[in-house]
Amino acid sequence: MSEGPDLDLRVEAILADPAAKDNPMRPVLEELYARHSTLQRLVDRLTRISDQFQRAERDRGLSYAENYQRKVRQIERIVRISDRYQSMLRDTNERLQLISTHDELTTLPNRRFMQERINQEISQVERNGGSFVLALADIDHFKDINDTYGHAMGDRVLAGVARNLKQSLREYDVCGRWGGEEFLFLFPGCGAEEMSALADRIQHCLKSADPRDADSPRVTMSVGVTEFRRGETMDETLKRADEALYRAKSAGRDRAVVA
Amino acid sequence: MTDLNIPQSNSSPAIRASWADGVVTMKGDSYPENSFELFQPLIDWVDSYLKTAGRALHSELELLYLNTSSIRALMDVLDMLEGAHVGGGRVSARWSYDSANERVGDLAEEFKEDCTFPFEIVATGDRR
Repeated sequence: MSEGPDLDLRVEAILADPAAKDNPMRPVLEELYARHSTLQRLVDRLTRISDQFQRAERDRGLSYAENYQRKVRQIERIVRISDRYQSMLRDTNERLQLISTHDELTTLPNRRFMQERINQEISQVERNGGSFVLALADIDHFKDINDTYGHAMGDRVLAGVARNLKQSLREYDVCGRWGGEEFLFLFPGCGAEEMSALADRIQHCLKSADPRDADSPRVTMSVGVTEFRRGETMDETLKRADEALYRAKSAGRDRAVVA
Repeated sequence: MTDLNIPQSNSSPAIRASWADGVVTMKGDSYPENSFELFQPLIDWVDSYLKTAGRALHSELELLYLNTSSIRALMDVLDMLEGAHVGGGRVSARWSYDSANERVGDLAEEFKEDCTFPFEIVATGDRR
């Protein structure tokens, strides 16, 4: 109301003017102006109070929104961190799984893994028929390598032999580190008639040179091969392979004996 | 306020709080059955210390694995420290981890993200 202050001033000027003192309208105007002023103050106060309430409500709303945003952000962070811990645990689990079933030096399956795998194969054959062959291969004169070149070279030879042996495997064959310089092969689905060929393959793979082994001493292996006979235990099959290996050693090494 | 001395177990970290030294220490794994029960005394202690001690509070962390509710509890503690810092209090934290376990260091960084008070992350031990 742009004329407001102006009108107020004009009314106040008339009320203050001595010339208007006897005007019969003056007392009425004075009363009316007093009532107007009171109402004006009341409206101003109401507006101010109402504004304050509105501001307080708005602040409250904002603080709720802020709180909510903060909580959402916190939950997002908790979820993210929790996911990372979980994936850390999963990786640790995988690593432990690998360590518990594999040999660190050669990365081949270890003795425990092989035992489990052979027992699976035995159940399989007992249930569904078929056959499998086990071969026990031992590096000849390995002790001499350790004694002559030291254990670090011994480890290199073991790792190199393991690499070569792995390359000789078909998809379903398994080769594990059975003991110190002893390796055990499982050939699923193979029978007696294939034993010689399998033994040849094991021995032959050591003869093809890997450039990484260029400065390592060349080694040979003695091998004992046998077929699983239904009804027997894993230990009985292994004992026969071990005896065949012993015979190969006794007969001058670098050869395979089939039992 | 008495000191806290909660011994380490298979599933919960060692938690120590010394009023005289103004130091809170947490060390180990944390996946307790009831993380509220485990951490509430610590949260109460920190709250009371920050409100009444009028001295600096340092926290030494050496935590490995935390389950989700422990993450939340630790975040609450760090939020309290942050609140104290913003209000002018002297607070600090140091998270030590084995350098062989780099991922724990990454996780410590995640916890640090919203903290503006001095928060040090230190790799310890020799990398093998």
